[in-house]
Order: sequence, then structure tokens, then C-alpha cells
Amino acid sequence: MPQIVLNINSEDYILEVEGNETLLTVLRERLDLTGAKPGCLTGDCGACKVIIDGKAENSCVKIAKNLVGKKIETIEGLSTPERLHPIQEAFIETGAVQCGYCTPGMIMSAKALLDVDPNPNDEEILAAIDGNICRCTGYVKIVDAIKLAAHRMSGGDQ
Amino acid sequence: MKNPEVIGKFEPIRDAVMKVTGELKYVGDMKMPRMLTAKMLLSPYAHARIKSIDYEEAEKLPGVHAVVCYKNTPRYLYNSYLRIFEDDIPRTEQVFSDVMRFVGDRVAAVAAEDAKIAEAALKLIKVEYEELPAVFDPEKALEEGAPAIHEGGNKVGEEFTEAGNVDEAWDQCDRIFEDRYEMPPLHHMAMETHVAIADYNSRGKLTIWSPSQNTFNLRILLSRIFDLPMTRVRLIRPAIGGAFGSKIELNLEVVVAALAIKAKRPVKLLLNRKDNMVLSRTRHEAIIYIKTGVKNDGTVLAQDFKVITNTGAYASSAMDVVGAMAQKPFKVYKIPNMRFRGIPVYTNKPIACAMRGFGSPQIFNAQQVQFAKIARELGLDLVEFQLKNAVKPDGIDQRWKTPIGNPRVEDAIRRGAELFNWEERKKTKNSPLEAGWKRGIGMSVGSHGNSLYGAHRDIMAVSLKPNEDGTFVLYTGAHDMGNGSVTMQTQMVASILGIQPEDVETVEADTDLVPYNLADYASRGVFVEGTAAKKVAENMKGKLAEKASNFLDCMVGEVEFANGCVQVKGDSERKMTLGELITKTQMVDQEELMSFESYASSSNPTSYGVHFVELWVNEAAHKVKIIDYVAVHDIGTIINRMGIEGQLEGGIEMGIGYALYEGLYFDDKGKLINNTLKRYGRTHPCDMPQNLTIDFIEANEPAGPYGAKSIGECATVPVSSAVFSAVCDALGEDLHKFPARI
Repeated sequence: MPQIVLNINSEDYILEVEGNETLLTVLRERLDLTGAKPGCLTGDCGACKVIIDGKAENSCVKIAKNLVGKKIETIEGLSTPERLHPIQEAFIETGAVQCGYCTPGMIMSAKALLDVDPNPNDEEILAAIDGNICRCTGYVKIVDAIKLAAHRMSGGDQ
Repeated sequence: MKNPEVIGKFEPIRDAVMKVTGELKYVGDMKMPRMLTAKMLLSPYAHARIKSIDYEEAEKLPGVHAVVCYKNTPRYLYNSYLRIFEDDIPRTEQVFSDVMRFVGDRVAAVAAEDAKIAEAALKLIKVEYEELPAVFDPEKALEEGAPAIHEGGNKVGEEFTEAGNVDEAWDQCDRIFEDRYEMPPLHHMAMETHVAIADYNSRGKLTIWSPSQNTFNLRILLSRIFDLPMTRVRLIRPAIGGAFGSKIELNLEVVVAALAIKAKRPVKLLLNRKDNMVLSRTRHEAIIYIKTGVKNDGTVLAQDFKVITNTGAYASSAMDVVGAMAQKPFKVYKIPNMRFRGIPVYTNKPIACAMRGFGSPQIFNAQQVQFAKIARELGLDLVEFQLKNAVKPDGIDQRWKTPIGNPRVEDAIRRGAELFNWEERKKTKNSPLEAGWKRGIGMSVGSHGNSLYGAHRDIMAVSLKPNEDGTFVLYTGAHDMGNGSVTMQTQMVASILGIQPEDVETVEADTDLVPYNLADYASRGVFVEGTAAKKVAENMKGKLAEKASNFLDCMVGEVEFANGCVQVKGDSERKMTLGELITKTQMVDQEELMSFESYASSSNPTSYGVHFVELWVNEAAHKVKIIDYVAVHDIGTIINRMGIEGQLEGGIEMGIGYALYEGLYFDDKGKLINNTLKRYGRTHPCDMPQNLTIDFIEANEPAGPYGAKSIGECATVPVSSAVFSAVCDALGEDLHKFPARI
């Protein structure tokens, strides 16, 4: 099997992967990073979203070997042992979390948005999470959470 | 008295931090030493007999550790929806059968070192089928000469109930309306697909990890199927990644069990979405004939339902869903003559089962859409029409003349109409929109129950253990699906003991560790499980008060619990922390306290929801925009405001999907056509109402804990009919087929 180096959450991992192995498989099966979830394996549900070079992407349809040299962020890299990321805090406080299966992917989509647009309007938020299915919440509190996080991250009341 | 610090506040779900960090382990995330991967071979035919099956080559493939099919597994007949030990619902399923009854029915399964080997092994299994005639339409399946899917024909049974005398009432009616509505099967679309892990050790113990809503009944079934004593079967429910009814029945658990028993190694089976859409069960497809007789003033004198549901290939919950559906209209309306006939039918489609609402959305879809039509044709205001016919708070079930509880449907209608500005909105309804858009308004009433009382026994047992620092451990058989039923129980305990919910740790849904709980369905979370949790805390409080009265030298009745302390009423000097009390009990009395409570529900009140919607339709662009939405629910008392809002918002999303986007469609061979989430259709974030107002009627349900009753299923019940009716209103057309695809 060919050897590749993937940069995940700012660390380089030397990995042996099969030719068509997806990033989701590498994360879950080889690295035990199980925050990204399999929900469809067709790129339709967003449960496996990670950020690749600043863009939220479905890791189930990304071939791992094509990602050499790219910066990959997963949910496991978001918080520090001391502190949750403001988006994670906002998801808890607003009730944007129910069953939690879509949550890591949803948070990564939110982060990709807020990283480039710290003050998005409703329409931009809805567009950013359009590819993330949540069957529990009706998205209402997820949108609230993203707005709250944006407010705090841009210097609103902490 | 409720403790306002704990009851009614915004309480995040207790494992939220584990979910936002991705730390929480769902079954699909779990790995065990020497664990094998399972794959299944599924039937390509809708109806076929296996003439021969040869799996010798598959077994020989290096890395394969077990191959199972009907030839080497028990042929015990069961019903995967078993509800209680002595249940006698029709038993039509087997671990594997030699007859395939839908495309996707289980032919065989393989456990191997990895997925690749398992898939290669499946290709080595040689199966010869004899194709049999198939039938997919439930009405056709009832016709004489239709292919019989099970012995005795395709009619599973019949549910019948009647108030008054419908046949005699038609003559007294000024107008009679007759309609036929069709609703497709739906996919629950829980984000976590079905998954299970089994381990079978040398002691003969079978352990299953499954995101199940129903561990205790699954244990009974597995014990019977594999002829194991119940001490040798253990079901553990880790996190559930959404369920909505799809994870009640015995499903993959039986397959991994068969493989693990054979391989003597742990086995995991995780479905991909395509297979999950066929194998995770569906919402019952329904055809509903409804005939309604009214006076010109809008009084409904008679209503007659004939419901045909498609249970698919096996019986499952066929009778239970029509049985539950049958009750609903009698709890909402005081119509003196009402009749329900429900006929579940076998077809060669995937198996149907419980889905949020358990038949309620279907029956209200037909009734409420027709009510909107009737009001329009009689020139009556729909809100007035509803108020004229809805039950009052002292309302009775017309069949038995028995009280319903404290039904506040009338209050919910009035509050909703006010919040929606119903009167004003009717006046502005015809004001012009941008070119291409048409405006429609709709309103619907729906209801759901709170327990299994009336259907069969409904027991929840819990225990509570104190720690030396004044915290507690609650042992609960609740299967929290993310809806917060365990969080709610910690609120109950905290409120009684004067502590905070985070002071209560939980051990959950493990058949060897926690006391019996029926299951998590029927929206029984707050009403039954909440009561059980409250009672066990009261039990503990009684024990602690007795100890405190000795240590503080006062009467038991003088002991007060607050802020993690006990104190003598009116004397803040005589107090001790709960930690001190529990430790002193160990030190002085040499005693450990433990409380146990078994609670059986002895009533089943009804929860109500009334929804109003304004939407705009653009036929040329195939678009619907939901502009304003108002949902008012009669829920007794709010226990967790965050949870109840979240349940309702999610229910609205699901119902909009039913009204406008969702449905499983099959080709003429019974194969699922729209077999990806993209093709299935759903309510996207941007399809949610632009303005959503939710409100609650808190009028106290006397039988509920702190006066509370359910929201879970009721949340979605009125949605699809309200949205569908609004589309009809916008188009000026009476549609009869769900979803209203634009």
C-alpha cells in the first residue's frame, strides 16, 4: 500500500492507505478519529464534514491520497483540553444538540463559514448548513447557535 | 410543588459536551479486540423461494469466520415488535427464511476479518431462486386471487371501533363529503443508520450493543430465538443517533447474534444508507377513505374512516398502528357518531413500523385536510368550525362516555388563532404577491397519547443510589434518543432532593444493570418515566428525611431539602449537607440507603397541538416558501423548555417533509427507486418557516409529574395536514395525494 502524509489538526500523520480509500475511512478506521460520522457515504448528509483548506467538505467522498499537502481540520481539533470552541459552547447553550450524530459535521460547516465570514446573515448561515441534515432540531436552534457564536467570536459579550 | 430552579428552565441535554466534541461513542464508533465485520446478502426479488443456497465457497474464503442463512440458524417464528413477554401479535419473521418477501429481505450474512473479505464472500454464495408473483399495492393485495404473502392471505387483521350509530346519522346531515387520501411510505431518516455489535463468549453469554429504543423486549426475543436463558442475554444501549420509531424492533441484532454465536468472536454490522432505507422500517403507507356528514352550521354529526395501511412483508406493528390510530379522533372531537375501520395489509414492500406519531399523522392528514375543504365549501370559518366540534376540558370519549383528562385543544386553537392573527390574515389573504406566487393558509389540529395504558401494561422501574458527597446515581432503563428523556429524569430527581441535575449521574438502558423499563415509544418519556424518576426520588427523600430527623433531632415532617442540604424548617442553624447526612448514615447507622420504585401508568391523557401556516406557492418554479408558522401545544407543564422547543421544531421539520418532499417510491419489481438521501427529498434548512412562533398551554395534567404531559410525537402530528391544506388553499384545488409536490 502506498504511503502518504496527511496533515490533520496541524499534525502530520504517515499513513498507508489503499488506492481509493476515503478520508472518512482513514479518520475513523486508521486514526480512531470517530467524530466524523458515516451517514450516507454519498456526500448527501454532511455528518462526516471536515474542513479541508478552509472549506467544509464531506470526507466520505474525498479520496485520502488526493489530500496530501492540504490542511485538514476535524472536530477533534476544535477544542483545547482547557476550553471548548465558541461554536461548541453555543451549540450546547442554545439547545442545538439533540441526538448529536449530525453535530460534529454541523459544527465544522459552521466553523468554515465563520472563519471567512465572521458576521453572516441568516441566508448565509442557511446556505452554509444546507448540506448538513439534522432530523432532530428543525435547524432553528442550530441557526441560533451559529449566530450566538458569531456574535461572541467577533467580540460580542463573552 | 415544582422547584422553579430545576423544573421549567432551559436545560441542555446532559451529554451535549460529549456530542459537540465528537467524543461520544455511538455503536458504529465502537471497536472490540478481534471484532469481525459483517455484511448481508439481500434478496434481489420482491417475492421468491430459495430453491438452493450453497455457501461452502464463502465459508472457505480465508478470513471468513461465519456464514449464516436459513439452513444453519433457528427457524423460530417471531414478531420483531414484541411488546411484552406474553404478547400474542402475529409471528411471521425468522432470523433467515427460505422465502423472500421484499427486495432487500435477508438471504444470508457473513462475518469476516474485514469488510472487503466479507463482501468477497457474499459473491461466493450461490443462490437459486424461484420467483413468485408479487403485489405492492395494498388494495390490490386485498383482492381475491392476489398472491398470498403469508398463509391465510394478505389481510393481517381488522381494527374496528364506533361511537353512536354512523349509519343512522347520515339522514340527519345537511351535507355529506367523501374523499380518499393517499400517503406514501416514509424513511425515518435518523442520521445514524442501523448498526449492532454482538459478542458471544465461552460461558454462553450473548451481549448486544445496539442503539435500540427497546432493549428489554429485544432480550426476550433473542432469548427465545436462540434458546438462551435470559441471564445469558444482555442488551446494552449506547448513544442513539436518532430513531423516531425505527429502532424499536428486533432488526440487525438478530443477525449479529447468529454470526457471533457461530464465530465466537465479536461481530459488527453497520448498514449503508441505501440498505438502511429499505431495512430500517418505514412509516406505514396509508389509503384513507373518509366520509363526513355535517349540518350547514358546521356541526359534524357523523364521520366514517376506512383506513388501509401497508405493513409490507411482515406483520411487525401492523395491528398496533391501526389500533393506536383508531383512538385519536375520539380524543379530539365530540362528534357523536364516529366509526373507524382499519385494515393492515401484507405486500411485497419493506416492513413498516412505528414512526413518530404511530398512525396519528396519517389519520389527521385525512381528517384535517377534509375539514379545511368542508369549511371552505360551507363558507364557514375554519377556526370556528374547529371550535364548534372540538372537545371541551371536561370532554369525554363518545364511545365509552369516559373523561379524557384535561384536554385543552380549545385553548390551543384560540391561542394559535390569536398569535397567527387569523382574522386579519383572512382579510389580507387575497392581497397580491409578486408575479408567479400564490398565497395559502392552513390550520390543523392533532393529538397523541402519553403512555401505553389502555393498550397493555406500561411499567417503568428505577433505582437511586446516594454517594457520600451528596450526589446520586440514577439507574434508568430509558432509551434516550437525543430527545432528553434522561435529562428530564435528572431534573425530576434534582427537584425533589433540592440538588441540581448535574448532581445526578445516570446508568442507562442495560438489561443486566438497570431495572425493567417497557421501552421508549408512545411518547411515554415524561408521563411515565418522569413519574417513575420523581417517585424514586421521593422514596429516597423519605429515607433521608428519617435519618436527618434523628441527626438533627426534629420531626420527619420538619426536614427541608434545598441547595444540597437538609435543615430543620425555620431553623437555619440546624442543618447539614446531603453529603454529611449520607456519610453519617454510614458511620453511625452502619447503613447504605438505596431506593427502588416500580411505577405502572394508570391513565393515558392526550396531548394536543394546533398549527397555523401561511405559505406561498410558485408552480412554475416548483417552490413553496413557508412564510409564517404558529404552533401551540397543550402540554400540561413544561419540564425542560429547551427540550420541548427542540422537540417541536424538529417535529415541524419532519412534518413539512411529509407534506411536501418525502416518500419512498418503488419500481414495478419492488425495487426502491429513490435510494439516496438526495433523491429521497427532505426539508432543507431554508425550507423551514421564515417566522416560526411556538407557544404552550400549561393547564396542568393532574396525572402527570408536576402536571406534565408529552410533546415528542404530537409535535409532528398536525404539521403535514396544515401545510398540505395551505397548498390546497393556495392552488384553489383539493389535492388528495401526499406529498403535495409542486
